[in-house]
Amino acid sequence: MSDDIHDQNTCGASGCREYQQLSRRSFVQASTGVVAFLAAHQWVPRVAYAQSHRGGMRDVIVSVYLRGAADAMSMCAPYFENDYYTKRPTIAVARPDSTDPNRLTALDSRFGIPPAMMGLHQAYLDGKLLFVHACGSTDPSRSHFEAQRFMEVGKPRDLSISTGWLGRHLDSVDVMVPGSALRGVAISSGMPQQLVGGPNTLPISNLDTFGIQGSTSTLSARRSSISDMYNLTTDPLKATAASTLQTITVLDAINFAGYAPANGATYPTSTLGTQLKSAAALIRAQVGVEAIAVDVGGWDTHENQAPVTGSMSTLMSTLATSIGAFYRDVIAGGGPNVTIVVMSEFGRRLQENGSRGTDHGHGTAMMVIGQCVLGGRVLTNWPGLAPANLFEGIDLAVTIDYRDILTEIVAQRAGNTQLSTVFPDFTPTPRGVFAC
Amino acid sequence: MAEHTLQAETNAEPAHREPTDRGHVGRSRRGLLGLATGAAAFAAVMKSASAQPVRVKGDVDPSALLEKLVDRITFGATPEELTLARQLGYQGYLEYQLNHLAINDTALDTRIAALTTLNMTYPQLEPQTFGFVRNELTEATILRATFSKRQLFERMVELWTDHFNIDIVTVQYYKTADDRDVIRPNALGTFANLLNASARSPAMLYYLNNDVSTSANPNENYARELMELHTLGVDGGYTQTDVRQVALCLTGWTIWKGASTGVLEGTFRYNNTNHNQTAKTVLNTAIPTNGGQQDGITVLNLLINHPSTARFIATKMCRHFLGYDVARSIIDQVAATYTSSGGDIKAMLRVVLRPEHIAAATPKIKRPFHMFVAALRQTAATVTSTASMRTRLNEAGHLPFSWLTPDGYPDKASHWAGNLIARWNYGASLVNGTTGSISGLAVNDVAFYTGATTADQMIARIDDRLFGNRMDPDDRERIRQFLLPSPPTTTRRREAIGLALSCPSYQWY
Repeated sequence: MSDDIHDQNTCGASGCREYQQLSRRSFVQASTGVVAFLAAHQWVPRVAYAQSHRGGMRDVIVSVYLRGAADAMSMCAPYFENDYYTKRPTIAVARPDSTDPNRLTALDSRFGIPPAMMGLHQAYLDGKLLFVHACGSTDPSRSHFEAQRFMEVGKPRDLSISTGWLGRHLDSVDVMVPGSALRGVAISSGMPQQLVGGPNTLPISNLDTFGIQGSTSTLSARRSSISDMYNLTTDPLKATAASTLQTITVLDAINFAGYAPANGATYPTSTLGTQLKSAAALIRAQVGVEAIAVDVGGWDTHENQAPVTGSMSTLMSTLATSIGAFYRDVIAGGGPNVTIVVMSEFGRRLQENGSRGTDHGHGTAMMVIGQCVLGGRVLTNWPGLAPANLFEGIDLAVTIDYRDILTEIVAQRAGNTQLSTVFPDFTPTPRGVFAC
Repeated sequence: MAEHTLQAETNAEPAHREPTDRGHVGRSRRGLLGLATGAAAFAAVMKSASAQPVRVKGDVDPSALLEKLVDRITFGATPEELTLARQLGYQGYLEYQLNHLAINDTALDTRIAALTTLNMTYPQLEPQTFGFVRNELTEATILRATFSKRQLFERMVELWTDHFNIDIVTVQYYKTADDRDVIRPNALGTFANLLNASARSPAMLYYLNNDVSTSANPNENYARELMELHTLGVDGGYTQTDVRQVALCLTGWTIWKGASTGVLEGTFRYNNTNHNQTAKTVLNTAIPTNGGQQDGITVLNLLINHPSTARFIATKMCRHFLGYDVARSIIDQVAATYTSSGGDIKAMLRVVLRPEHIAAATPKIKRPFHMFVAALRQTAATVTSTASMRTRLNEAGHLPFSWLTPDGYPDKASHWAGNLIARWNYGASLVNGTTGSISGLAVNDVAFYTGATTADQMIARIDDRLFGNRMDPDDRERIRQFLLPSPPTTTRRREAIGLALSCPSYQWY
């Protein structure tokens, strides 16, 4: 969009002014409870998406959103491209065959991960982590807010959609565990756009403490007062109250504080580590939660990106060790089936800027992790980094629509047959994300 | 003067009601309109004043009707407001609220004087931190709803803000100007002035991409929402061709941008260079070539004068005050007033708020903003900062100016009924401990309960202050039990207020 006021904002040491605002941004509204259902279109897939229901249990979808446009080429570096080194003289990570102690670890003959991402290496070696590269949204916006919005509502440039892809997914599949009060949860304050519209979905910033606030000595008396009063009222409040009280009871019964990860996994004490640990406890409790959304901020690295030693290195190692712990605990550790998907609104500029950072780009990368992921590889139609191959001559192109990946997740691992409800006006291309 | 107690509905025309909205009325044995009010106080007030109690068909109790009016046109009735209403009587109080500029609001003005971004121009706003600007506008909105004496005005600001929704994260500083220059000056004016201001609002033009709509590359977004959401309504009788033609008419309606424009920056600009000068047809009206800015003016006039607009606006206003499914006949009366008065909002409100219409009004759920503000008003809470309250509003999904899409925050029970925990916890935390645990907000229970020492007296006080003595009897009894044994401890009496704020009947009005 020309004359975009976001384009006119300067992006400095603490990121773009627009994005600083986003980091204080309040996410969109909380659960709607009983939500008007989007009419399902009669869409017949050209390719049958296999449904996988083992005894009716589906994968819990854990959607991790990296807010701020994470630099995909640092997270999964194309070391085979000379342009990666010539265009990023200070921030490119050394080739796997160099003697630099902070060199990349090769994933294959083209891509490698920096030391900060090694927390995910085991998952990759186990064949359960898939990188998807040169992917993202076809929407050309380089505005954080806009791009996040269109990615999360699931359709570029559609300003009329107020629900999220994951919320619509929950609304268009049968309830996994009948009678479950909590089907979707955002571990944050405020509901992220991607989950808006999900039935029985709430933002809960702390699963351990979720409940009725106030003095513990009167909690039981107050709870029973509330329960009694709402038991005598009518719907919709009666039903919401019952489901809320049930959710409180269900979450109270889960020992979040004392959760013992399996398989020797240790979660870092960072916010993300704590959130994923509580997600693990919630998933293992199998109370019927089908989708969990987590946000990670801080990725808008316009200055001193420092993927090896500085700010981005910290971001990546927090991400990798936290998800790595979850992988070891739940996925490798014999827990219920989960698919984790990690995405960001767009990637960053190939050419580093004058501040040892990068500006907003286009093509990005995703990660998919789960027991059934066909991982241990980098899935891409790599377009190349020569100027003629760059989007608008400057950015990594998008060769795989992010919705292709998400479609396979909801269809194959969560049994959704209403795909055009989840991603309206979109015809997905099968990409082969899963082995089972 | 006789007091009448009703057992059930009035004989007024029965209002249609969504089945799910029986919550309050269906359960209460006393219904909304009939009640035996406490008292000496009431009788004394009614003896005073020249206020003629309004009577409606079916002998609805006039004092209850007056209280219902206060409930509907404010963000929560307070003793002061009810006293004033009783002094003035139904019509007197309604006129008092309509004559909003004559209401002395200096106490509120003093409160918000420190929020200096509210009065800044775009060039002054632009260097500010957006979060700061947003917080000041949101805080002002909360403080105004809570403390302004111009309550009907603030309720109309609420309506129009949703009607002409603009997401502040998208438009940033422009929304401060839109609130100040478009919504507030015109909320009790004419719809024509309101629409004309909105169509020239940089916030709106930016939000709906009209600022980049040119003859070479027209953008239909604003044109569509102008008809679908702001005037005719989705079934108001326009076609996709009309949308395209309206978009062409509005090309060139843009914004002065860039620091080089100096004091003009961020203000409305008509740029004829980008205007499509061809002949056009909109809603069967021919628009000649080379019309320039007049094209857009013609379109706006067509929309303002269209009968579908009269009906659409009338429906919104009726729904805002009278219930989720207002009788067609009432809407038609209001629409007729729109047409005959030239879209005079006050004239329309006089029809919407007629006693017989208020008598027939059906329950509405308090949206979170309304419930949070009503709680502050009715507990006479002190407010020193709204920061924590804003966090809770966000968790409840009703932070002002934060609805993404142009349709605005919904006004449907089903949308808001899904998150009770945010309401329960607001109630619980507001009174928690001796000072409350929502920083910036404080309830003085000593003052609240002055003169009440037993459980029975305290529940009566809660009933009076929070429910106008129309508290659902089951909720009332349950909370009375919570107060036992009598006399209640400080903890129990404070928490009883929190429970009252959490109870089913408090969620409705």
